[in-house]
Amino acid sequence: MEAERKSTKRLSTARDLAGVVAEYYLECHRAKAEGKPVGWMPPMNGAIEIFYAMDLQPVFPENWSPVCAAFGLTPAHFEVSEGMGYSRDLCGYLRNIVGYLYGDMHGQGVPLGGLPEPDLILSFGGGCIPAMKIFQVLEERFPLARIFRADGPQVAVEDIRDHHVAYAVSEMHRLIGFLEEATGRTMDYGRLREVVELSDRACELWDEIMSYRKFVPTPISASEIGIMFVMVTRQGTPIAVDFLTRVRDEVKQRAADGLGVIADEKVRLFWDNIPLWYNMGLFNSFEKMGGVVVAETYSAAWSLRLDTSDPIEALARKSLMSYSLVSCLSIERRKEMVLKSCRDFSIDGAVFHQNKSCAPITLGQADIRKALAEELGIPSITIDADHMDQRNFSLAQFQTRADAFMEMLLLKKRF
Amino acid sequence: MNTHLLVAPFDHALRTKRERLREAASRGKKVLGYFCTYTPVEILHAGGFLPVRIWGGRGPVEKAYSLVPNFICPYMKRSLENALNNEYDFLSGLVQGYTCDVACGLVNIWKGNIPMIISHSVPLPYNDTLQSREFLRSVLGELMERLSKIGGSFPDGALGASWDLYTQIRRALSDLSRRRSQGRLDLDAADFVTVVQAGFVTEPEAYLTMLKELVSSPDPGCGVSPREGIPVLVSGSVVEDANVLALIGKHGLLVVADDLCTGLRSFTPASGMGESPLERLVDRTMKRFPCPSRSHPRERIPLVKGLVADSGARGVIFLFQKFCTPHLADHPMVSQALRDDGIPSISIEMDEDGLLDAQVATRLETFSGMLEAADGS
Ligand code: SF4
Ligand code: SF4
Repeated sequence: MEAERKSTKRLSTARDLAGVVAEYYLECHRAKAEGKPVGWMPPMNGAIEIFYAMDLQPVFPENWSPVCAAFGLTPAHFEVSEGMGYSRDLCGYLRNIVGYLYGDMHGQGVPLGGLPEPDLILSFGGGCIPAMKIFQVLEERFPLARIFRADGPQVAVEDIRDHHVAYAVSEMHRLIGFLEEATGRTMDYGRLREVVELSDRACELWDEIMSYRKFVPTPISASEIGIMFVMVTRQGTPIAVDFLTRVRDEVKQRAADGLGVIADEKVRLFWDNIPLWYNMGLFNSFEKMGGVVVAETYSAAWSLRLDTSDPIEALARKSLMSYSLVSCLSIERRKEMVLKSCRDFSIDGAVFHQNKSCAPITLGQADIRKALAEELGIPSITIDADHMDQRNFSLAQFQTRADAFMEMLLLKKRF
Repeated sequence: MNTHLLVAPFDHALRTKRERLREAASRGKKVLGYFCTYTPVEILHAGGFLPVRIWGGRGPVEKAYSLVPNFICPYMKRSLENALNNEYDFLSGLVQGYTCDVACGLVNIWKGNIPMIISHSVPLPYNDTLQSREFLRSVLGELMERLSKIGGSFPDGALGASWDLYTQIRRALSDLSRRRSQGRLDLDAADFVTVVQAGFVTEPEAYLTMLKELVSSPDPGCGVSPREGIPVLVSGSVVEDANVLALIGKHGLLVVADDLCTGLRSFTPASGMGESPLERLVDRTMKRFPCPSRSHPRERIPLVKGLVADSGARGVIFLFQKFCTPHLADHPMVSQALRDDGIPSISIEMDEDGLLDAQVATRLETFSGMLEAADGS
């Protein structure tokens, strides 16, 4: 088996992330111990702000999978879920979480204490099929939890119309009603507005941090992208805003000082699709030849401003857009975004992770590659891999292809 | 070629589909394709279009790999391959009810690569509530608007007429399916899939006439000998290849019922409740015999068990399209629930060349032997 590798992070704030992660999981366990209702939910939607506004504890099983990958737990989880009959062709997030739930969920050695059991589950339709199926398994695994079956229009960002928003808004109200009834708490709409303002502030900071990638050399790369943890788990809290402010300050300073993530930046790369969570060091592997992964598609999911004048509608729109911005719902929009990002960040070449675990994001890559080549003359390569299952990835093959690609790009830039 | 007399017209319709559809297009009929039976065909038809379910068929996949990875279902790969080979040059566009991620992605990939005047995904709600019904009405309204922009028109009464036509078709298919389950119709599972699939690619008016003739065929109670074998149910997504079902029949198994979208799921329930055709359409969509892509396995399990009980099936054969996430994801829970009730099952995967496992014959034989032994004990 190929060694798991962690990425090398140049930002001190990015290195602080381990503490932020640990603190979040501690908080989840503390909440459980103190009787605060714990709810498991899918990421990238407006439920997180509603939870924080009602002082409930959100937990994100999808986010737990990268943690498992980082700690090398996934092979054991896959063994459990595949033993239960879950096909190896299913998304690794699904197989990992099932394996965790029916395997070592309460084991001694589980990092960060694992996940506290849910009192509430936001099961949903909308998003992708594997994510929907994860929550259906959760419903089975935790029969005592109160279930809210959320619904959401699956529509491309560019096609969103009033009736889609109206339905998403009605779902937000239904969710609040459910939470009030299930927990006995009442939504304070003034508080919700504050939370949405914090959430929007985090988005603004996010965009600002990303904008410093325009600098050559770039002061922040994909190796530091783990900072999005706070966007997944802490949106709507001062914790996210404080952390991102510190990141912004550091990145801004580095940009002003002309400090790049590597000393001699020669080639600027773009990464499409989810990272290989078990081998984040891959992002650094271009650096020996002067290549830096400057930008990636995944971060676009957080690049959304919220109109705080109507918090509920803002959250409805966020729920409608986050997933479709990174999935095959909006290939057209994704194409535009990748092209824009390649222009804005002066990209020389793109790496497309053809992700066996994620058809939604992989579909459309060929069209995007074609547009990159035809419209911007930017070459790209495809890497066959999997964001969770390292059995679907060959490091040796990757290195050969990546080295050849880098050589070609260096030649093109006459280095 | 199927020489069974009752099935011959349907078999012929399937074999001549391309020429017929090209001919319809050359007459000025706008043909709109769809992948999934959740697509509201009545709306397309009422607007003056001919809805046709896209077929994949067996064969190689070459060109499609320039646009999609190999790890998507063979149905979608083959459809794209066909499209790139101009097999569907009669199509004006694609309209698809959002069911699975791959179908949705492929609508967008077709849009970027196959010349069409419309490409539209209809987002379907998952829950059945007052608000979700209202939402469904509005997305159907949006679809009508989009169709109007490409020359569709919806005169008074058009939707009602289309609804009635498709409801009659679904009723006839339900009737045939029931009679087959009860051994009162001399059609095997392969024949039945042929009958259903012919409907996906034939003008509904003509198809209804064909069905009416079949429905009026003699009841075996009046003389046709029932087929033999251990009764089983097949469950899965798209099974286009009647040979797959014929193969099952060769191993002492008799497919008496199905949970396929090329079978029962495409016509169940036949109708819906409501004052207007649109209301009935909304109601039926909400109450459809669910596909895993739209539902929780807990909702499907009692329905599948019900089919098993009603048909007298003694085991279940899952027929999966390789890489089909919705069906593969539900399988552990559904098969476990069947096991809990003493209903054995096996699963078989299909790829673009047909059955994937070289051992399928042996496995079917073992399964058949096991069911037989269980029966004797
Ligand atoms: S990785 Fe892809 S397939 Fe898996 S849950 Fe996320 S979006 Fe869905
Ligand atoms: S439900 Fe399965 S067979 Fe149907 S399009 Fe989706 S992946 Fe393919």
